[in-house]
Amino acid sequence: MNIRNLTIKKFHEGLINKEFSAFEITKAFFDYIKEKDQEIDAYLYLMEDLALSQANKIDVEIASQSFKISNYLFGVPLAIKDNILIEGEPTTAGSKILENYRAAYDATVIKKLKEVGAIFLGKTNLDEFAMGSSTENSAFKITKNPHDLERVPGGSSGGSAAAVAAGMAVAALGSDTGGSIRQPASFCGVVGLKPTYGAVSRYGLIAMASSLDQIGPITKTVEDARILFEAIKGKDELDATSVNFQFPISNFQWEDIRKLKIGLPKEYFYNTDLYRLNTDSGGLNVDLRRNSGLDKEVEKAMEETIKLLKSLKIEFKEISLPHTKYALSCYYIIMPAEASANLARYDGIRYARIPRGSQTKHGSFADQRKSALEEIYFRQRGEGFGPEVKRRIILGTFVLSAGYYDAYYTKAQKVRRLIKNDFDKAFEEVDVILTPVSPTPAFKIGEKIDDPLSMYLSDIFTIPVNLAGLPGISIPINSKLKTQNPKLPIGFQLIGKPFHEADILGIGEYYEKISE
Amino acid sequence: MAVPINKKTLKYLAELSRIELKKESEEKLLKDLQKILAYFEELESVDTENIEPMTGGTIEKNIFREDALTQINADNTQINADNISENQRKNLRKSAITEQFPEEENGFLKVPAVFE
Repeated sequence: MNIRNLTIKKFHEGLINKEFSAFEITKAFFDYIKEKDQEIDAYLYLMEDLALSQANKIDVEIASQSFKISNYLFGVPLAIKDNILIEGEPTTAGSKILENYRAAYDATVIKKLKEVGAIFLGKTNLDEFAMGSSTENSAFKITKNPHDLERVPGGSSGGSAAAVAAGMAVAALGSDTGGSIRQPASFCGVVGLKPTYGAVSRYGLIAMASSLDQIGPITKTVEDARILFEAIKGKDELDATSVNFQFPISNFQWEDIRKLKIGLPKEYFYNTDLYRLNTDSGGLNVDLRRNSGLDKEVEKAMEETIKLLKSLKIEFKEISLPHTKYALSCYYIIMPAEASANLARYDGIRYARIPRGSQTKHGSFADQRKSALEEIYFRQRGEGFGPEVKRRIILGTFVLSAGYYDAYYTKAQKVRRLIKNDFDKAFEEVDVILTPVSPTPAFKIGEKIDDPLSMYLSDIFTIPVNLAGLPGISIPINSKLKTQNPKLPIGFQLIGKPFHEADILGIGEYYEKISE
Repeated sequence: MAVPINKKTLKYLAELSRIELKKESEEKLLKDLQKILAYFEELESVDTENIEPMTGGTIEKNIFREDALTQINADNTQINADNISENQRKNLRKSAITEQFPEEENGFLKVPAVFE
């Protein structure tokens, strides 16, 4: 039994046909992880005792035949991004400030998955508080891309994507605020679904930017993404923004799929301005401008995908998303604003406190008088947060501060409306929009870490989807071209109408079938 | 728009954010922030006259619920809330929360004196 290629579907068949027991396969996963993860570093910690006792229960239920045969997730070993709470287990969000924190309750998605008998192998690495596009911002370790150990797995759900890609989990959960499921899925050659805002409860997800965050599946196939999405979606009274939607997401027919019209935004493919930073903004290095364009390999892979879909007589139409070029600016105002408010709770008082660490070095405020309480705040946050988190908190504090609120925050919210209006208009003409996921394949570890703007650019195609609250999926391109060197995975993105996950999953499943 | 952030504003923002900055990281942080803010200047050219700010996700509608008390059982094992349906009832132990407190006394969160 090769556990590395197991999909949810194959696992389920093997389990009910008694090709293996849940216990022995869960054990096999841990054996493999302990060896393989030494080079990948996808997991922050493993939950072996809990997982094996869960697996035992599954086997008892199978022996007594007291399970539903239609429940595909029964006994399936999953990896969970470490910003999603599992009761009693450590949950760090990749941050030193939560190093000693243990979750007091289950996130709603975890509760739902426990109810269907899924097994949790462990918690996966991420950029601190999900802030980043490479998982290099984790306070604990650097995850490597299983396709090339010198490269990043993407981020922020890099640990989950790498774990699935390396076969160290059947599937995983990630979270996506500006591309954090789709971009690592693309970099690691797996499937990543960012559901419509409100489709999945955020209760128990450590909040970054609450109007943008969504939990979603990272899987080996589109079919698996559908199965996992179906299990976690739905209205939750503990998340007021979750929505009860009745749109069916399975049992679509090929005849329905081929009637869908796909839009190609001209700004994403032809207008090179999108990938270029404003030359007048000063201080930007020339290399960044030159390198931020759509990579040749990505362009070729996209062309190949479009050609394949066209050969099925699916209709394509050029559309325009004129405000999309402002999405990055818009996002990097709104997201830090929300994050600065959400992260105010990490004060060293309510959650676990970190050891004071190097205290001798006083910061900029040595001259100011502080109360003992303030001392705790400043030290804990100063020591506990990494550079990217500090950068975003301070940026968010700035755009929300008196005198700048309207010029930045309100302005960005208005531009967000224009970006959403563009999509609304486009969806009057087409059902689904096809774009790249990221301008380049996986980049090298260390390549962008010192230049925040160039890092931010790797989410340029995924960010508008979060701003508009739409569902988006990243699907690996099964390229027949042999020109790639080294052969790094590249994904394409399908964007759907709100709560029309069925459309993008449907086209995705057909793409998978025909591109094999 | 001139880049409206300098060393002084950075210190003020760090103070507001309750973050102690290390001297050696300040310069890089300031430069990064200036670059990012300069990038935002492109938004000035967008006409947003009469555009309503978009404040949230997919459905921008207020959700209301009764402003009711959430009660904790005498045995501290479960939270019962009248506004939460039976299957939503969380098996939330009070101690699971209080155990996280770095300092506590009789189940209360302990903080240093605010007024000295």
